[in-house]
Amino acid sequence: MNTKYILGFVIVITLGVVYYNFNPEMYFFFPECPFHKFLDLDCPGCGSQRAIHAILNGQIMAALDYNLLLVMSIPLLLIHLFFRIYAHLSKKDVILNFWYNPVVPKIILIIVIVFWIIRNIPAYPFTYLAA
Amino acid sequence: MEEQPQGQAPFGQQPFGQSPFGNNPTPIPKNWLVESILVTLFCCLPFGIAGIVNAANVNSKYASGDYLGAQAASAAAGKWTKIGFFCGIGVMVIYVIFFVVLGMGGAMMGNYR
Repeated sequence: MNTKYILGFVIVITLGVVYYNFNPEMYFFFPECPFHKFLDLDCPGCGSQRAIHAILNGQIMAALDYNLLLVMSIPLLLIHLFFRIYAHLSKKDVILNFWYNPVVPKIILIIVIVFWIIRNIPAYPFTYLAA
Repeated sequence: MEEQPQGQAPFGQQPFGQSPFGNNPTPIPKNWLVESILVTLFCCLPFGIAGIVNAANVNSKYASGDYLGAQAASAAAGKWTKIGFFCGIGVMVIYVIFFVVLGMGGAMMGNYR
């Protein structure tokens, strides 16, 4: 169990260092999304690598431009991570009730689908969302 | 094998179908929502969407009292999330191998460029 956490920690740190130092737009060894490559459309995750590079370098506005959804979900994921660590350390089974509310997954699904559709509309206010 | 008297629960064992937490008969199964969101955002394949749909099913079925349905939806959510995760890893590995092979080829062919 502990080796799993250590391995995960090492992988996250390694990826963090790689994404901090290399801009995915300049180096071609970063994988490209197959959806984007073959259909030439943006999926909800397109732009994530560039957004992470931008965030790690402190350029929040650039990250927002690459992938708005990713930047918006980071506070939520950090809160979740905090609760998981707290549950692990205090040996209490803290379930974040938020994720188990019947409405929450539906709202998230609608946000993701709407984001997916409107970021592919090639008109002015929506082009900001494109990767 | 010990014979138990009829109509009497064995000592130290909960009667079938009941848990110590009276008002909550079965705990809600894992809904994989966070994992689905991560797959949607990072693995760049629409499998994460299937995971989120099944996560929604887990929560709504559990809320309506359909515990078996919630467990089935939980299994489906886990399946789609894992498929998305390993497809993402696979694409990444293939891409990196492709890059390494191309890079080696390029280094060997360097003089002919």
